[in-house]
Amino acid sequence: MGDLFRALINAVAVLAIPLVLVAFLGWGIIKKVKVYEVFVEGAKDGFATAVRIIPYLVAMLCAIGIFRASGAMDLLTTVLAPITNLIGMPPETLSMALMRPLSGSGSLGIMTELMKVHGPDSFIGVLASTMYGSSETTFYVLAVYFGSVQVKNTRHAVPAGLIADLFGMLGALFICRILFGA
Amino acid sequence: MLNYIWISLIAIGIFVAVGNDVRDEVQNTYRNGIPLEATFTVDRSATGQRTTWEGELVMSAGAFNEFYGIRTAASEVRQPAVISTLPSGESSIMLPIGTSTPDHWKEMAKTATSKDRLMGTVQSMQISADGRSSTVRILLEPIRFVKIKAVTQAALDYASTAVTIAIGLIGIMALWLGVMKVAEEAGLLIVVTRLLTPVTRRLFPDVPSDHPAVSAMIMNIAANMLGLSNAATPLGLKAMEELNKLNPKLGTATNAMVTFLAINTGGLILIPATAIAVRAAAGSANPGIIVGTSIFGAGCATVAGVVAAKLLQRLSYYRKELEITPSPEKEASRG
Repeated sequence: MGDLFRALINAVAVLAIPLVLVAFLGWGIIKKVKVYEVFVEGAKDGFATAVRIIPYLVAMLCAIGIFRASGAMDLLTTVLAPITNLIGMPPETLSMALMRPLSGSGSLGIMTELMKVHGPDSFIGVLASTMYGSSETTFYVLAVYFGSVQVKNTRHAVPAGLIADLFGMLGALFICRILFGA
Repeated sequence: MLNYIWISLIAIGIFVAVGNDVRDEVQNTYRNGIPLEATFTVDRSATGQRTTWEGELVMSAGAFNEFYGIRTAASEVRQPAVISTLPSGESSIMLPIGTSTPDHWKEMAKTATSKDRLMGTVQSMQISADGRSSTVRILLEPIRFVKIKAVTQAALDYASTAVTIAIGLIGIMALWLGVMKVAEEAGLLIVVTRLLTPVTRRLFPDVPSDHPAVSAMIMNIAANMLGLSNAATPLGLKAMEELNKLNPKLGTATNAMVTFLAINTGGLILIPATAIAVRAAAGSANPGIIVGTSIFGAGCATVAGVVAAKLLQRLSYYRKELEITPSPEKEASRG
Protein backbone atom coordinates (compact mmCIF):
# COMPACT_ATOMS: atom_id res chain seq x y z
CA MET A 1 0.00 0.00 0.00
CA GLY A 2 2.66 2.48 1.06
CA ASP A 3 4.91 1.48 -1.82
CA LEU A 4 2.07 1.79 -4.32
CA PHE A 5 1.27 5.26 -3.00
CA ARG A 6 4.91 6.30 -3.31
CA ALA A 7 5.22 4.91 -6.84
CA LEU A 8 2.04 6.70 -7.87
CA ILE A 9 3.10 10.04 -6.40
CA ASN A 10 6.54 9.74 -7.96
CA ALA A 11 5.01 9.05 -11.37
CA VAL A 12 2.72 12.05 -11.04
CA ALA A 13 5.63 14.24 -9.94
CA VAL A 14 7.71 13.20 -12.95
CA LEU A 15 4.88 13.69 -15.44
CA ALA A 16 3.34 16.82 -13.92
CA ILE A 17 5.49 19.50 -15.53
CA PRO A 18 5.55 18.13 -19.11
CA LEU A 19 1.81 17.42 -18.94
CA VAL A 20 1.02 20.89 -17.64
CA LEU A 21 3.18 22.47 -20.35
CA VAL A 22 1.51 20.46 -23.12
CA ALA A 23 -1.99 20.92 -21.74
CA PHE A 24 -1.71 24.66 -21.16
CA LEU A 25 0.01 25.53 -24.40
CA GLY A 26 -2.15 23.05 -26.36
CA TRP A 27 -5.31 24.56 -24.89
CA GLY A 28 -3.98 27.95 -25.88
CA ILE A 29 -3.60 26.81 -29.50
CA ILE A 30 -7.13 25.39 -29.52
CA LYS A 31 -8.45 28.68 -28.16
CA LYS A 32 -6.51 30.47 -30.92
CA VAL A 33 -4.19 32.28 -28.52
CA LYS A 34 -0.97 33.55 -30.09
CA VAL A 35 0.95 31.30 -27.73
CA TYR A 36 4.48 32.45 -28.51
CA GLU A 37 3.72 36.14 -28.26
CA VAL A 38 1.66 35.75 -25.11
CA PHE A 39 4.30 33.52 -23.52
CA VAL A 40 7.02 36.08 -24.12
CA GLU A 41 4.77 38.84 -22.86
CA GLY A 42 4.23 36.99 -19.59
CA ALA A 43 7.81 35.79 -19.26
CA LYS A 44 9.30 39.27 -19.38
CA ASP A 45 8.10 39.88 -15.82
CA GLY A 46 10.36 37.09 -14.59
CA PHE A 47 13.42 39.25 -14.33
CA ALA A 48 11.71 42.11 -12.52
CA THR A 49 10.07 39.76 -10.01
CA ALA A 50 13.32 37.95 -9.21
CA VAL A 51 15.26 41.18 -8.80
CA ARG A 52 12.52 42.71 -6.64
CA ILE A 53 13.08 39.96 -4.06
CA ILE A 54 16.77 40.72 -3.55
CA PRO A 55 16.59 43.39 -0.79
CA TYR A 56 14.12 41.33 1.23
CA LEU A 57 16.18 38.17 0.86
CA VAL A 58 19.45 39.93 1.74
CA ALA A 59 17.89 41.38 4.91
CA MET A 60 16.47 38.04 5.98
CA LEU A 61 19.38 35.78 5.11
CA CYS A 62 22.01 38.09 6.68
CA ALA A 63 20.14 38.14 9.99
CA ILE A 64 19.76 34.37 9.92
CA GLY A 65 23.40 33.93 8.93
CA ILE A 66 24.62 36.09 11.83
CA PHE A 67 22.40 34.20 14.25
CA ARG A 68 23.61 30.80 13.02
CA ALA A 69 27.30 31.67 12.97
CA SER A 70 27.27 33.13 16.50
CA GLY A 71 26.52 29.83 18.20
CA ALA A 72 23.31 31.30 19.66
CA MET A 73 21.50 28.13 18.64
CA ASP A 74 23.46 26.10 21.23
CA LEU A 75 22.52 28.61 23.90
CA LEU A 76 18.84 28.49 22.94
CA THR A 77 18.92 24.69 22.95
CA THR A 78 20.31 24.69 26.50
CA VAL A 79 17.70 27.19 27.69
CA LEU A 80 14.80 25.26 26.19
CA ALA A 81 16.04 21.77 27.17
CA PRO A 82 13.83 21.47 30.31
CA ILE A 83 10.69 22.07 28.23
CA THR A 84 11.59 19.47 25.61
CA ASN A 85 12.42 16.93 28.30
CA LEU A 86 8.95 17.48 29.68
CA ILE A 87 7.25 16.51 26.40
CA GLY A 88 9.58 13.59 25.71
CA MET A 89 11.48 15.20 22.88
CA PRO A 90 15.12 14.07 22.58
CA PRO A 91 17.30 17.16 23.24
CA GLU A 92 19.36 16.41 20.10
CA THR A 93 16.36 17.11 17.87
CA LEU A 94 15.62 20.48 19.49
CA SER A 95 18.16 22.32 17.36
CA MET A 96 16.50 20.71 14.32
CA ALA A 97 13.10 22.04 15.39
CA LEU A 98 14.54 25.51 16.00
CA MET A 99 16.54 25.63 12.79
CA ARG A 100 13.77 24.38 10.48
CA PRO A 101 11.91 27.70 10.10
CA LEU A 102 15.14 29.69 9.81
CA SER A 103 17.29 27.91 7.30
CA GLY A 104 16.75 25.10 4.81
CA SER A 105 20.43 24.32 4.38
CA GLY A 106 21.03 24.61 8.13
CA SER A 107 18.30 22.13 9.03
CA LEU A 108 19.43 19.81 6.24
CA GLY A 109 22.91 19.85 7.80
CA ILE A 110 21.54 19.11 11.28
CA MET A 111 19.42 16.24 9.94
CA THR A 112 22.41 14.72 8.14
CA GLU A 113 24.58 15.11 11.25
CA LEU A 114 21.99 13.51 13.54
CA MET A 115 21.67 10.54 11.20
CA LYS A 116 25.41 10.12 11.01
CA VAL A 117 25.72 10.10 14.80
CA HIS A 118 22.56 8.19 15.81
CA GLY A 119 21.80 6.20 12.64
CA PRO A 120 18.95 6.91 10.21
CA ASP A 121 16.66 4.25 11.66
CA SER A 122 17.10 5.25 15.30
CA PHE A 123 14.28 7.14 16.96
CA ILE A 124 16.26 10.38 16.72
CA GLY A 125 17.03 9.75 13.04
CA VAL A 126 13.41 9.05 12.15
CA LEU A 127 12.17 12.01 14.19
CA ALA A 128 14.69 14.41 12.68
CA SER A 129 13.82 13.41 9.11
CA THR A 130 10.10 13.59 9.87
CA MET A 131 10.61 17.07 11.29
CA TYR A 132 12.48 18.08 8.17
CA GLY A 133 9.57 16.86 6.02
CA SER A 134 6.93 18.42 8.29
CA SER A 135 7.59 22.06 7.64
CA GLU A 136 8.93 24.66 5.28
CA THR A 137 11.60 27.30 5.79
CA THR A 138 9.12 29.86 7.05
CA PHE A 139 11.34 32.94 7.07
CA TYR A 140 12.66 32.24 3.59
CA VAL A 141 9.14 31.80 2.22
CA LEU A 142 8.01 35.01 3.94
CA ALA A 143 10.95 37.00 2.56
CA VAL A 144 10.58 35.74 -0.99
CA TYR A 145 6.79 35.86 -1.27
CA PHE A 146 6.27 39.19 0.43
CA GLY A 147 9.38 40.60 -1.21
CA SER A 148 7.96 39.93 -4.67
CA VAL A 149 5.00 42.25 -3.98
CA GLN A 150 6.95 44.75 -1.87
CA VAL A 151 4.99 44.01 1.29
CA LYS A 152 6.85 45.37 4.29
CA ASN A 153 4.15 45.16 6.94
CA THR A 154 3.56 41.41 7.16
CA ARG A 155 0.86 41.71 9.90
CA HIS A 156 0.06 38.31 11.41
CA ALA A 157 2.03 36.27 8.86
CA VAL A 158 5.01 35.64 11.18
CA PRO A 159 2.98 34.44 14.18
CA ALA A 160 0.78 32.30 11.94
CA GLY A 161 3.84 30.80 10.24
CA LEU A 162 5.56 30.10 13.56
CA ILE A 163 2.42 28.52 15.01
CA ALA A 164 2.32 26.29 11.92
CA ASP A 165 5.97 25.33 12.53
CA LEU A 166 5.37 24.65 16.22
CA PHE A 167 2.45 22.36 15.46
CA GLY A 168 4.38 20.68 12.65
CA MET A 169 7.21 19.82 15.06
CA LEU A 170 4.81 18.70 17.81
CA GLY A 171 2.85 16.64 15.28
CA ALA A 172 6.06 14.99 14.08
CA LEU A 173 7.06 14.19 17.68
CA PHE A 174 3.59 12.84 18.49
CA ILE A 175 3.32 10.52 15.48
CA CYS A 176 6.91 9.27 15.80
CA ARG A 177 6.44 8.48 19.47
CA ILE A 178 3.27 6.53 18.72
CA LEU A 179 4.65 4.61 15.74
CA PHE A 180 8.31 4.14 16.67
CA GLY A 181 8.38 4.57 20.45
CA ALA A 182 10.96 6.55 22.34
CA MET B 1 6.49 41.43 14.49
CA LEU B 2 8.96 40.74 11.71
CA ASN B 3 10.78 43.92 12.75
CA TYR B 4 11.39 42.58 16.25
CA ILE B 5 12.34 39.09 15.12
CA TRP B 6 14.72 40.50 12.55
CA ILE B 7 16.54 42.81 14.95
CA SER B 8 16.54 40.08 17.63
CA LEU B 9 18.27 37.63 15.30
CA ILE B 10 21.00 40.17 14.58
CA ALA B 11 21.36 41.51 18.13
CA ILE B 12 21.30 38.09 19.82
CA GLY B 13 23.72 36.79 17.20
CA ILE B 14 26.27 39.54 17.80
CA PHE B 15 25.95 39.50 21.61
CA VAL B 16 26.31 35.73 21.79
CA ALA B 17 29.28 35.85 19.42
CA VAL B 18 31.05 38.43 21.59
CA GLY B 19 30.15 36.46 24.70
CA ASN B 20 31.50 33.24 23.24
CA ASP B 21 34.73 34.95 22.22
CA VAL B 22 35.20 36.44 25.69
CA ARG B 23 34.63 32.99 27.21
CA ASP B 24 37.10 31.42 24.77
CA GLU B 25 39.65 34.07 25.72
CA VAL B 26 39.15 33.55 29.47
CA GLN B 27 39.20 29.77 29.28
CA ASN B 28 41.81 29.81 26.53
CA THR B 29 39.75 27.27 24.56
CA TYR B 30 42.28 27.20 21.75
CA ARG B 31 45.31 26.92 24.08
CA ASN B 32 47.02 29.99 22.67
CA GLY B 33 50.63 30.13 23.83
CA ILE B 34 50.65 26.61 25.29
CA PRO B 35 52.93 24.14 23.50
CA LEU B 36 51.52 20.79 22.37
CA GLU B 37 53.51 17.56 22.53
CA ALA B 38 53.00 14.94 19.88
CA THR B 39 54.79 12.28 17.88
CA PHE B 40 55.81 13.12 14.35
CA THR B 41 56.27 10.15 12.04
CA VAL B 42 58.24 10.85 8.91
CA ASP B 43 56.92 9.60 5.56
CA ARG B 44 59.24 11.45 3.29
CA SER B 45 62.34 13.18 4.54
CA ALA B 46 65.41 14.80 3.15
CA THR B 47 64.02 16.76 0.28
CA GLY B 48 66.72 19.09 -0.93
CA GLN B 49 69.11 20.07 1.83
CA ARG B 50 67.22 18.15 4.54
CA THR B 51 65.09 21.14 5.40
CA THR B 52 61.59 19.72 5.02
CA TRP B 53 59.99 16.64 6.50
CA GLU B 54 56.59 15.42 5.42
CA GLY B 55 54.72 13.08 7.68
CA GLU B 56 52.00 12.70 10.23
CA LEU B 57 51.45 14.22 13.61
CA VAL B 58 50.19 11.41 15.83
CA MET B 59 48.41 11.87 19.13
CA SER B 60 46.08 9.61 21.07
CA ALA B 61 42.48 10.77 21.27
CA GLY B 62 42.78 10.96 25.04
CA ALA B 63 45.83 13.20 24.97
CA PHE B 64 44.23 15.47 22.37
CA ASN B 65 40.99 15.77 24.33
CA GLU B 66 42.85 16.40 27.56
CA PHE B 67 45.01 19.10 26.03
CA TYR B 68 42.04 21.05 24.67
CA GLY B 69 39.63 20.09 27.46
CA ILE B 70 37.10 18.65 25.02
CA ARG B 71 35.50 15.28 24.29
CA THR B 72 35.06 15.44 20.54
CA ALA B 73 38.05 13.46 19.28
CA ALA B 74 36.97 9.83 19.15
CA SER B 75 39.87 8.11 17.42
CA GLU B 76 43.62 8.57 17.34
CA VAL B 77 44.64 11.83 15.73
CA ARG B 78 46.70 11.26 12.58
CA GLN B 79 47.16 14.68 11.06
CA PRO B 80 49.34 15.17 7.95
CA ALA B 81 52.07 17.67 8.73
CA VAL B 82 55.04 19.35 7.10
CA ILE B 83 57.97 20.58 9.19
CA SER B 84 60.41 22.95 7.57
CA THR B 85 63.61 24.29 9.01
CA LEU B 86 64.64 27.78 8.10
CA PRO B 87 68.31 28.69 7.61
CA SER B 88 68.12 30.66 10.87
CA GLY B 89 67.53 27.38 12.71
CA GLU B 90 63.89 27.97 13.50
CA SER B 91 61.46 25.26 12.47
CA SER B 92 57.86 25.77 11.49
CA ILE B 93 55.07 23.24 11.18
CA MET B 94 52.20 23.35 8.74
CA LEU B 95 49.04 21.28 9.26
CA PRO B 96 46.93 21.16 6.08
CA ILE B 97 43.23 20.79 6.87
CA GLY B 98 41.81 17.61 5.39
CA THR B 99 39.37 14.80 6.09
CA SER B 100 41.56 13.32 8.85
CA THR B 101 41.87 16.62 10.69
CA PRO B 102 40.15 16.66 14.13
CA ASP B 103 37.05 18.87 14.24
CA HIS B 104 38.59 21.13 16.85
CA TRP B 105 41.46 21.99 14.52
CA LYS B 106 39.07 22.43 11.60
CA GLU B 107 37.18 24.95 13.72
CA MET B 108 40.42 26.74 14.58
CA ALA B 109 41.59 26.84 10.97
CA LYS B 110 38.48 28.78 9.98
CA THR B 111 39.91 31.81 11.78
CA ALA B 112 43.60 31.08 11.16
CA THR B 113 45.76 33.23 8.90
CA SER B 114 45.12 30.87 6.03
CA LYS B 115 41.82 28.97 6.06
CA ASP B 116 43.10 25.68 4.66
CA ARG B 117 45.91 25.15 7.15
CA LEU B 118 47.13 25.73 10.68
CA MET B 119 50.65 27.09 11.12
CA GLY B 120 52.89 26.77 14.13
CA THR B 121 56.47 26.84 15.32
CA VAL B 122 58.44 23.81 16.42
CA GLN B 123 60.00 24.44 19.81
CA SER B 124 61.90 21.19 20.10
CA MET B 125 62.28 18.02 18.12
CA GLN B 126 63.88 14.79 19.34
CA ILE B 127 64.47 12.31 16.56
CA SER B 128 64.28 8.65 17.54
CA ALA B 129 67.12 6.22 16.90
CA ASP B 130 65.74 4.87 13.61
CA GLY B 131 65.15 8.38 12.29
CA ARG B 132 61.54 7.55 11.39
CA SER B 133 59.76 9.36 14.18
CA SER B 134 60.37 12.12 16.63
CA THR B 135 58.80 13.76 19.63
CA VAL B 136 57.93 17.35 18.85
CA ARG B 137 56.79 20.29 20.93
CA ILE B 138 54.83 22.66 18.76
CA LEU B 139 53.19 25.99 19.37
CA LEU B 140 50.27 26.66 17.04
CA GLU B 141 49.41 30.15 15.88
CA PRO B 142 47.11 32.02 18.28
CA ILE B 143 43.40 31.72 17.46
CA ARG B 144 41.16 34.58 18.60
CA PHE B 145 37.71 36.09 17.96
CA VAL B 146 36.44 32.92 16.28
CA LYS B 147 32.74 33.72 16.54
CA ILE B 148 32.99 37.41 15.69
CA LYS B 149 34.96 36.58 12.57
CA ALA B 150 32.45 33.85 11.71
CA VAL B 151 29.55 36.28 12.16
CA THR B 152 31.18 38.85 9.89
CA GLN B 153 31.87 36.21 7.29
CA ALA B 154 28.31 34.86 7.51
CA ALA B 155 26.78 38.30 6.99
CA LEU B 156 28.86 38.83 3.85
CA ASP B 157 28.34 35.29 2.54
CA TYR B 158 24.60 35.30 3.05
CA ALA B 159 24.22 38.67 1.35
CA SER B 160 25.69 37.21 -1.81
CA THR B 161 23.77 33.95 -1.35
CA ALA B 162 20.56 36.00 -1.40
CA VAL B 163 21.51 37.49 -4.75
CA THR B 164 22.51 34.08 -6.12
CA ILE B 165 19.12 32.64 -5.13
CA ALA B 166 17.24 35.54 -6.70
CA ILE B 167 19.26 35.43 -9.92
CA GLY B 168 18.71 31.66 -10.09
CA LEU B 169 14.98 32.31 -10.01
CA ILE B 170 14.94 34.52 -13.12
CA GLY B 171 14.83 31.80 -15.76
CA ILE B 172 12.36 29.50 -14.06
CA MET B 173 10.26 32.51 -13.09
CA ALA B 174 10.09 33.65 -16.73
CA LEU B 175 9.12 30.16 -17.91
CA TRP B 176 6.20 29.77 -15.52
CA LEU B 177 4.97 33.32 -15.84
CA GLY B 178 4.91 32.81 -19.62
CA VAL B 179 2.99 29.54 -19.34
CA MET B 180 0.55 31.05 -16.86
CA LYS B 181 -0.06 33.99 -19.17
CA VAL B 182 -0.96 31.64 -22.01
CA ALA B 183 -3.28 29.67 -19.72
CA GLU B 184 -4.89 32.90 -18.58
CA GLU B 185 -5.51 34.12 -22.13
CA ALA B 186 -6.93 30.73 -23.08
CA GLY B 187 -9.36 30.85 -20.15
CA LEU B 188 -7.92 27.65 -18.72
CA LEU B 189 -7.32 29.00 -15.26
CA ILE B 190 -11.04 29.54 -14.74
CA VAL B 191 -11.60 25.82 -15.36
CA VAL B 192 -8.95 24.89 -12.78
CA THR B 193 -10.45 27.33 -10.32
CA ARG B 194 -14.06 26.26 -10.67
CA LEU B 195 -13.31 22.72 -9.50
CA LEU B 196 -12.06 23.86 -6.12
CA THR B 197 -14.35 26.83 -5.58
CA PRO B 198 -16.05 25.38 -2.46
CA VAL B 199 -12.67 25.09 -0.74
CA THR B 200 -11.10 28.31 -1.92
CA ARG B 201 -14.16 30.41 -1.12
CA ARG B 202 -13.90 29.39 2.52
CA LEU B 203 -10.12 29.82 2.71
CA PHE B 204 -10.00 33.12 0.85
CA PRO B 205 -13.37 34.84 1.28
CA ASP B 206 -11.91 38.20 0.18
CA VAL B 207 -10.83 36.85 -3.21
CA PRO B 208 -13.49 36.50 -5.97
CA SER B 209 -13.59 32.80 -6.79
CA ASP B 210 -12.91 33.36 -10.51
CA HIS B 211 -9.94 35.64 -9.86
CA PRO B 212 -6.62 34.54 -11.46
CA ALA B 213 -5.08 34.61 -7.97
CA VAL B 214 -7.12 31.55 -7.02
CA SER B 215 -5.85 29.42 -9.88
CA ALA B 216 -2.26 30.47 -9.24
CA MET B 217 -2.62 29.57 -5.58
CA ILE B 218 -4.14 26.19 -6.41
CA MET B 219 -1.33 25.41 -8.83
CA ASN B 220 1.29 26.56 -6.31
CA ILE B 221 -0.13 24.30 -3.61
CA ALA B 222 -0.37 21.38 -6.04
CA ALA B 223 3.23 21.87 -7.16
CA ASN B 224 4.36 22.07 -3.53
CA MET B 225 2.57 18.86 -2.65
CA LEU B 226 4.24 17.08 -5.55
CA GLY B 227 7.63 18.39 -4.41
CA LEU B 228 8.13 20.46 -7.57
CA SER B 229 9.73 23.39 -5.78
CA ASN B 230 11.09 24.78 -9.06
CA ALA B 231 7.57 25.27 -10.33
CA ALA B 232 6.01 26.07 -6.96
CA THR B 233 7.94 29.27 -6.21
CA PRO B 234 7.16 31.04 -9.53
CA LEU B 235 3.49 30.02 -9.27
CA GLY B 236 3.40 31.22 -5.66
CA LEU B 237 4.91 34.56 -6.63
CA LYS B 238 2.40 34.85 -9.45
CA ALA B 239 -0.34 34.22 -6.89
CA MET B 240 1.08 36.93 -4.62
CA GLU B 241 1.12 39.36 -7.55
CA GLU B 242 -2.51 38.62 -8.31
CA LEU B 243 -3.48 38.88 -4.63
CA ASN B 244 -1.70 42.22 -4.50
CA LYS B 245 -4.03 43.52 -7.22
CA LEU B 246 -6.83 43.12 -4.68
CA ASN B 247 -4.79 44.80 -1.95
CA PRO B 248 -6.41 48.04 -0.75
CA LYS B 249 -3.20 49.11 1.02
CA LEU B 250 -0.06 48.32 -0.95
CA GLY B 251 2.91 47.38 1.19
CA THR B 252 0.72 45.70 3.81
CA ALA B 253 -0.22 42.02 3.79
CA THR B 254 -3.89 41.16 3.22
CA ASN B 255 -5.73 38.39 5.04
CA ALA B 256 -5.70 36.24 1.92
CA MET B 257 -1.92 36.64 1.56
CA VAL B 258 -1.32 35.58 5.15
CA THR B 259 -3.61 32.55 4.84
CA PHE B 260 -1.91 31.57 1.60
CA LEU B 261 1.54 31.87 3.21
CA ALA B 262 0.38 29.88 6.24
CA ILE B 263 -0.50 27.03 3.87
CA ASN B 264 2.86 27.43 2.18
CA THR B 265 4.92 27.46 5.36
CA GLY B 266 3.06 24.36 6.50
CA GLY B 267 4.90 22.71 3.63
CA LEU B 268 2.52 19.83 2.94
CA ILE B 269 4.38 17.51 0.62
CA LEU B 270 3.37 14.02 -0.42
CA ILE B 271 6.90 12.65 -0.84
CA PRO B 272 9.57 14.39 1.26
CA ALA B 273 12.22 13.60 -1.35
CA THR B 274 15.14 15.43 0.31
CA ALA B 275 14.70 13.74 3.67
CA ILE B 276 14.33 10.33 1.99
CA ALA B 277 17.48 10.89 -0.08
CA VAL B 278 19.49 11.83 3.01
CA ARG B 279 18.18 8.77 4.86
CA ALA B 280 19.11 6.52 1.95
CA ALA B 281 22.58 8.06 1.79
CA ALA B 282 23.00 7.47 5.53
CA GLY B 283 22.36 3.76 4.95
CA SER B 284 18.77 3.47 6.20
CA ALA B 285 17.11 0.08 5.88
CA ASN B 286 13.83 1.79 5.04
CA PRO B 287 14.35 5.37 3.86
CA GLY B 288 10.70 5.84 2.90
CA ILE B 289 9.40 5.07 6.38
CA ILE B 290 8.95 8.78 7.06
CA VAL B 291 6.45 9.42 4.24
CA GLY B 292 3.42 8.85 6.45
CA THR B 293 4.80 10.61 9.50
CA SER B 294 5.86 13.62 7.44
CA ILE B 295 2.42 13.96 5.87
CA PHE B 296 0.93 13.83 9.37
CA GLY B 297 3.37 16.44 10.71
CA ALA B 298 2.94 18.76 7.74
CA GLY B 299 -0.84 18.28 7.94
CA CYS B 300 -0.75 19.45 11.58
CA ALA B 301 1.40 22.42 10.56
CA THR B 302 -0.89 23.43 7.69
CA VAL B 303 -4.12 23.15 9.66
CA ALA B 304 -2.60 25.00 12.64
CA GLY B 305 -1.24 27.71 10.33
CA VAL B 306 -4.56 28.30 8.59
CA VAL B 307 -6.50 28.30 11.86
CA ALA B 308 -3.95 30.69 13.40
CA ALA B 309 -4.13 33.00 10.38
CA LYS B 310 -7.94 33.02 10.50
CA LEU B 311 -8.06 33.69 14.24
CA LEU B 312 -5.30 36.30 14.31
CA GLN B 313 -6.84 38.31 11.48
CA ARG B 314 -9.81 39.04 13.77
CA LEU B 315 -7.65 40.78 16.37
CA SER B 316 -8.26 44.51 16.23
CA TYR B 317 -4.49 45.08 16.33
CA TYR B 318 -4.04 43.34 12.99
CA ARG B 319 -7.32 44.61 11.54
CA LYS B 320 -6.28 48.21 12.11
CA GLU B 321 -3.08 47.76 10.14
CA LEU B 322 -5.07 47.03 7.02
CA GLU B 323 -7.20 50.16 7.27
CA ILE B 324 -6.21 52.82 4.79
CA THR B 325 -6.87 55.86 7.00
CA PRO B 326 -7.88 55.02 10.54
CA SER B 327 -10.56 57.70 10.89
CA PRO B 328 -13.25 57.62 13.60
CA GLU B 329 -16.16 57.98 11.13
CA LYS B 330 -15.09 54.87 9.30
CA GLU B 331 -15.01 52.88 12.51
CA ALA B 332 -18.48 54.12 13.34
CA SER B 333 -19.96 53.38 9.93
CA ARG B 334 -18.65 49.84 10.16
CA GLY B 335 -20.70 49.36 13.30
